[in-house]
Amino acid sequence: MIKELLLPLFASMALIAVVGWNYLSIPGVPDWSEDERRLISSLSLDALPPLPADPSNKFADEPEAVEFGHRLYFDTRLSSNGQVACASCHKPELMFTDGLSLAMGVDIGPVHTPSLVGLAYSPWFYWDGRKDSQWAQALAPLEAKHEHATDRVQLLHLIAEDKTYRKMYENLFGPLISTEKLPESATPKGNAQQQANWDALDGETQRAVSRSFANLGKAIAAYQRKLMPGRSRFDDYVAQVMANSNEDDALSNSEKSGLKLFIGKGQCINCHNGPLFTNHEFHNTAILEANAQLPSMGRYDGIRISREDPFNCLGEFSDAQATQCSELRFARDTNDLVGAMKTPTLRNISLTAPYMHSGQMTDLAQVIEHYNEAPSSMLSHNEAKPLGLRPVERSQLEDFLMTLSAPLATEEKWLAPPEY
Amino acid sequence: MKTPFAISFLLGLCFASTSNAALPDLSGVTNNGLKIEIYSELSPLAINQIHNWELRVVNDSNVTLELEKLLVTGGMPEHNHGLPTQPQLTGRVANGNYLIEGIRFHMQGLWQIKIEIQVNGLVDTASIEFKL
Repeated sequence: MIKELLLPLFASMALIAVVGWNYLSIPGVPDWSEDERRLISSLSLDALPPLPADPSNKFADEPEAVEFGHRLYFDTRLSSNGQVACASCHKPELMFTDGLSLAMGVDIGPVHTPSLVGLAYSPWFYWDGRKDSQWAQALAPLEAKHEHATDRVQLLHLIAEDKTYRKMYENLFGPLISTEKLPESATPKGNAQQQANWDALDGETQRAVSRSFANLGKAIAAYQRKLMPGRSRFDDYVAQVMANSNEDDALSNSEKSGLKLFIGKGQCINCHNGPLFTNHEFHNTAILEANAQLPSMGRYDGIRISREDPFNCLGEFSDAQATQCSELRFARDTNDLVGAMKTPTLRNISLTAPYMHSGQMTDLAQVIEHYNEAPSSMLSHNEAKPLGLRPVERSQLEDFLMTLSAPLATEEKWLAPPEY
Repeated sequence: MKTPFAISFLLGLCFASTSNAALPDLSGVTNNGLKIEIYSELSPLAINQIHNWELRVVNDSNVTLELEKLLVTGGMPEHNHGLPTQPQLTGRVANGNYLIEGIRFHMQGLWQIKIEIQVNGLVDTASIEFKL
């Protein structure tokens, strides 16, 4: 009789143990060690230094440039079909993303729209870091055929003909070049006709046009420097922990356990570090490309494109001295950067789905599962290793990530189109 | 009694800060026993900020040596990757120290810096470990 009961008893106990191990959290809350306290406080917005100057853009912190850039940012006239502004993809209500897998401007693009929040702290822009300043970045979508699909000469005609724009431009940058003798459309980047028109211009005019174009990017960047993350529940919790307060209720027990995983077993903090939860670096983590796309060379190509960019920090349209262009001058370009993409911020991550450079993953559970498995990379190698997180731990990690969202620390007036 | 104590405490602080200011941020010894001193523009060292180092190599008698070659590389042994940048020797500063530009660390944890030098025709190396 006893023998007959033993088997079901053991089987039941084993089942309870397996289910418990996978889905039940261990009671109690983390007791932070000194090292963990150091790591946690390094992630808080309280540790965020003042926004560094951008020596390549002497207008970066000019209030008039911010105003001008704000107008340009929301203006759909800066596109070939009159329907696409910077704000069309980088929407303020979605933390300056668009909610789509692949960006949709005049046409569908090859990559996912990243958030602009806190991006002014980054030394590199685009998923592959092909641009080394925020103003140089702002120029590329204006001429990209799937984004704004306009060009530098068309834009200068617009500035010249709009009295307000012309006045704002000239107050900041001095007299606008004469646009009367310019063709309607021209750029070295466009279609055959645009390129032919560009080639027909003399070198001095080309440089003057490109300088004026760069100035528009500098104004847009000045505006984008205002987009800063706000204080989240996580930041409040760090303040409670560091104050040795008896109150540590800013996070739930599950969220605290998720934080412990984030800085420990989950290894998330390796790349998502600092108050913006990004090291601004490039890593290959074996993310599959979007459907029907070849694997991207990532940062390996990005650094090469950046070095050749006439609008880079060392170029003639930059306001920086060469010694101030350290990121570009000393950037790594080695083979291990093949397939490496930029680490995005995790601030406001619950509001910026889908995820990854081509929006391949629809939710955070999928992202966490990917890093838990750490599959082989189709191109080069995956830097990450399998984590062995139990289902309950994956759920705790997700709970923690949800605590990083908060209204922006940006004046309301910058989050809506300008009032004319 | 309190005033002299306060004065001596403040004087102590002054001397402490003066001597700390002269201390290198990192130091190590080469395989041939030469001492390497690194003075960082970013002190204390921190992640995610590009910065420059000054470096000097001294012998047993604390004499600064002329280097025929200086190469700085590094990485994280636990993660099997290198520095995120390619630091370079770009010149010398007024006091004769060698200027290394383009240092940045992108992760917290144990870092290992490798210094390769050549002095009087002899190649020599040092490895310096520190935690960020």
